[in-house]
Amino acid sequence: MFRRKVHGDDSWNDEELCALTELAEGEKGVIVKAIGGFGLVRRLAEMGLTPGTEVKLVKKGSFGGPVEVEVRGVALALGRGVASKVLVKPVKDETHD
Amino acid sequence: MLNQLKMKPMTRHLRVALAGNANVGKSVIFNQLTGLNQVVGNWPGKTVERAEGTLHFRGYTIRVIDLPGTYSLSAFSIEEIVSREYIAVEKPDVIINVVDASALERNLYLTLQLLELEAPVVMALNQVDFAAKKGIRINVEKLSKMLGIPVVPTVAITGSGINELLMTVVAVANGEIKLNPLKVRFGAEVEEKVQKIQKLVEERIPQMCAVYPARWIAIKILEWDEDIVSKLKNYEDGAKVLAYAKEKASELEKMHGEPSPVILASERYSIASKIAKEVTTLETPPRVGWEQKLDTITTHKILGYPILIGVILAMFSLIFIGGSFLSSFLESLLGNTLSQIEVVLAFLPHEAVKIVADGVFGGIMAGITIALPYIVPFYIILALLEDSGYLPRAAFLMDNLMHRVGLHGKAFIPLVLGYGCSVPACIGCRIMETERERLIATFVVTLVPCAARTVVILGLVGKYVGLHAALALYIFDLALVFILGRIAFKALPGEPVGLIMEMPPYKKPSLKIVLTKTWSRTKDFVYIAFPIIVAGSLAITALDVTGFIGYVTTGAKPLISGWLGLPEAAGVPLIFGVLRKELALILFSELIPLETLSTVQMIVFAIVTMFYIPCVATIAALLRELGWKKTMAITVVDVCVALLVGGMAYRLLSLIMA
Repeated sequence: MFRRKVHGDDSWNDEELCALTELAEGEKGVIVKAIGGFGLVRRLAEMGLTPGTEVKLVKKGSFGGPVEVEVRGVALALGRGVASKVLVKPVKDETHD
Repeated sequence: MLNQLKMKPMTRHLRVALAGNANVGKSVIFNQLTGLNQVVGNWPGKTVERAEGTLHFRGYTIRVIDLPGTYSLSAFSIEEIVSREYIAVEKPDVIINVVDASALERNLYLTLQLLELEAPVVMALNQVDFAAKKGIRINVEKLSKMLGIPVVPTVAITGSGINELLMTVVAVANGEIKLNPLKVRFGAEVEEKVQKIQKLVEERIPQMCAVYPARWIAIKILEWDEDIVSKLKNYEDGAKVLAYAKEKASELEKMHGEPSPVILASERYSIASKIAKEVTTLETPPRVGWEQKLDTITTHKILGYPILIGVILAMFSLIFIGGSFLSSFLESLLGNTLSQIEVVLAFLPHEAVKIVADGVFGGIMAGITIALPYIVPFYIILALLEDSGYLPRAAFLMDNLMHRVGLHGKAFIPLVLGYGCSVPACIGCRIMETERERLIATFVVTLVPCAARTVVILGLVGKYVGLHAALALYIFDLALVFILGRIAFKALPGEPVGLIMEMPPYKKPSLKIVLTKTWSRTKDFVYIAFPIIVAGSLAITALDVTGFIGYVTTGAKPLISGWLGLPEAAGVPLIFGVLRKELALILFSELIPLETLSTVQMIVFAIVTMFYIPCVATIAALLRELGWKKTMAITVVDVCVALLVGGMAYRLLSLIMA
């Protein structure tokens, strides 16, 4: 397993982009792209993680465990490896609800 | 529409299929519809649970099939293929699409795909009560109008709305309600390509269009759906169509910078999202209920783990206390029966009595007194954990650790069960999504020492060598599980699947559902496992009575004494251990005073028993879950591992001890 460092990767000039796992708990982001194998990208899309969708990082599991996200009104657990392949643009305006 | 009412027989037959996401209360609706009139089995040739039941309603006999819970109808999992093949090929009269009202958008994704398949759909908008609690209110008429299909709000747990649902289903089936399903149309660029491919499909492969809707085939090829693509290759012009579709897909991909299935998924989701927004009003902000509080605690970074351990310990104590009580109760009940059978059969020759009594009845006895008492409590607890929503939380906590064995969080559940009994553990491996993950998980599970093997480890090594040695064996086993799991993970072809799992909200488990599930699963287990247990028992008893076992042990002598360094007498107990592992130790002690064994021999014997072959009941479960090829493979690997590790342990330990 590897964790792709998004910052500094040349193909992603947009420096605001980060991996879903890099969001803080409670922070939201908009999905830009999922990288990785055909099967994975497709499955993520089918679970509602399509480009342009807003996700909220609810919780990070300890010991590098999975993250829990909220997308389209549903709570999903994503393995750390899976979630690190989802690139998001953090939503800046922190309106606490 | 299918109109088969020309003959007007007295009772009319309908076939209805339930389709929906996981965790939407689909099985609850199924139970409400069919009660105990259901049969749970497998889809032919697949290890996917197939539940079927019948009900009578207003002169109709309705056969209900509960399709597996899926989020999509792509070819990602066997469940999805099974579902869509049933819908497309068997063409049930009506599909009830069970939808979770509290997560409409995500659920509509499947609905749209059902409409793509041009299936006659009636929607059961379920859990409207729970949605209301979350402040979500859905305009049912508007939703029905937008989709062009009837929508019936239901609360499956209480049975509210079920009657209306049935009336609607019947009305749709006999044509009283006309469906005008929404034609799912994509954005201009995608749509153009779909239509072009569709035209080509209609022209070139009309035979396939007789089974599947042409437009659907076109969409699936554009998405490069493995199953449909491979089906297409069977047709003469298939390759041409595929080449054309591939070209169109790459045009799309260039334009959007995404793989075509992602583009189509996005388009479907945007339609779903639009519909959901149109019909939903959010009333009060959601309150924090006990469900959320329980969720917070049970998936807590630190607290989650002691709770998990507590749950597992409680589960085991319940299974073992309940199981051993039931087991000894049944044994005392049936023990007399066995001796009575021997008395009744006394007129027969002694050998025949032995074969019948020990072989047939002994096998049935073993099934009833050993397997069932542990399996029934296990099924009850499994159903409780499933129905409450705890299982995904446990998987969440253990995901990272399971990755080290090459699996993901969900595999933790069968692995833990394996310490109790391999049989339910193997069946539990169903929760893994792909064949590959299922195979790895099942293989690993057979290596985990079950309760019977614990008897051998503790009764031999623990008692005569010391508890530290027994503990070392357990740790050694874990290490081996880890190593072999990794090897299987590396050796087996296919893409490993990471964890992508819904975390449904907690809910109070329903007693009715728990008991129904337990009942149907137990019934299923008895049908499958008992014949195999009896056959195995019969075979070994026959070998024994006819004296053939002597040849077997003589044949195995070089292996037993030469390679493993065990006394020659160990052969017979090891053969009988296939029936039940603890039998190996019991028989061994009858043949040789255990204390005369050397420490090395004890350890080697325990190691061999731990791995050498799954017991008959486990083999039955493996056959059931994986088919004979994979069962053979696992069995052979297990035997080889046992011999290899046993032989190595003998040599290494002899060196160290000397």
